[in-house]
Amino acid sequence: MTLSAKAFQRWLQSIAPDASTADVCRVSGIKRTTLAQQLVRGKVSVSTVVSISRAYSINPVAALAGFDAYTALAGPPRPPSRNELVSQISSADLLRALLARPAMDASRGAAAPALSPAPHATSVKNWVDAIDDGEVRHRVSASTGVAPQNYSAQLTANRLSPELAMATALAAGVGPAGGLVATGIITEEEAGWPPGARQEALDSLSDGELTALAGDRLQALGKVLRRQEQDQAQTEKIWENLG
Amino acid sequence: MIETLQWTTLAICAVIAAARIPSTLRGENRSLFGIFAMMTLAILLSIQEPYLIIDSALGGTNIANLLLRFVIFGAIYFLGVRVSRGFGADKAYRLITGKAGITVLLAISAVLVTIFLLMDTAGSSAGLLDISAKDPRHFALVEYYGAAGRAYPAFVALALLPAMVRAIRDRLPVLVRIAAALLALGGVAVALTMFFPVLPPGLKALQFIINYTAVLCYVLGLALIWAAKVLSGRPARSRKTSTET
Repeated sequence: MTLSAKAFQRWLQSIAPDASTADVCRVSGIKRTTLAQQLVRGKVSVSTVVSISRAYSINPVAALAGFDAYTALAGPPRPPSRNELVSQISSADLLRALLARPAMDASRGAAAPALSPAPHATSVKNWVDAIDDGEVRHRVSASTGVAPQNYSAQLTANRLSPELAMATALAAGVGPAGGLVATGIITEEEAGWPPGARQEALDSLSDGELTALAGDRLQALGKVLRRQEQDQAQTEKIWENLG
Repeated sequence: MIETLQWTTLAICAVIAAARIPSTLRGENRSLFGIFAMMTLAILLSIQEPYLIIDSALGGTNIANLLLRFVIFGAIYFLGVRVSRGFGADKAYRLITGKAGITVLLAISAVLVTIFLLMDTAGSSAGLLDISAKDPRHFALVEYYGAAGRAYPAFVALALLPAMVRAIRDRLPVLVRIAAALLALGGVAVALTMFFPVLPPGLKALQFIINYTAVLCYVLGLALIWAAKVLSGRPARSRKTSTET
């Protein structure tokens, strides 16, 4: 669900009363045609509000909380669970951390390099997997009317619309902003995740937990790569015979 | 309208066949050029005016019609081989090129030639219409002759159909999936030709439309795959096979 143009105009009035649309676009780096189109259609995207909030030094989560569909974001941020935090660490970072563990290679004393910021290549799917009690997908599908296969397709493509991200967090009973972080709409900091929280969560994993987790990630990655290779091979065969 | 359809189809086929000449000279999938060239010839022979010219040059005994049938058989055979191999339809490939397929081809060919020889075929006539009008015996013979001529293409088309339907839903490039849909549609049209005898006489035009739909779908489907390959920029990167077991 996008935001209504009316509510957006009211919000814009409250944060930049004297700014023209052109000013707002210039400051926030949004293309004028894009914003004009969204206003004409009466549907303003979430990322527009986020960009403008950042330009005017307002927390985008707080700004979004003022819109009807996103009131769940209001109030003090709920701290993310350890699973959520770990899900937002890229597989490469997880593997580096694992290699730096004494259990893997006692001779290597060097600490793993700092974590790259969220989101990563599979952050959306990893986030949903991290908060899924086995029924979350069904509940999201029931509450939003989005077909399970469409939902899965979005996760596979590492995408999730803001409203589905919110609905997923709600269905799983976790902090409402987690999905917005996983989809890269807002940063961890904007969501109120404590600095270094992901690193701490990673450090708190035992060698066994970390190894198992890295194994799961590798297995999932292997599946995706294998499938891509098979698709590629099939396409090449078609080219070879019919091209 | 039917004339327009015939000549348009002929033009499209001829253009695609001509466009294949450079890649054929380079040695790329020569049989594809063969398929397009044979289809062009088949369409040429199925249009009244060129048919009469060619057949009278061959002696005016409608041998051109028999030639047309075998050109179609050749085109559909190579099309079946190429498409089933390209789309990895091993079952269809075995069915078409295996004992069963060759037996079907030989049997239908024998029937076709036998019926042709049983008829008094003097007097060039496109679609053997004048021959059919001679007497009830010739009418029946022409019907069987036509059915035999449509049977082999229908056999190959049906063999390919499952693989084409599967390919539409596969994770292939979108142009290839559209091409698979066209090939599937062409296959359905070819299979439908078997129902021509039960078609009411007033619907002769429908026969033409089904025939040319089939040819157009096949030709455009194949051309689209070729276009998709060209557009993909031929990524000739050697794939790593280390993950394959």
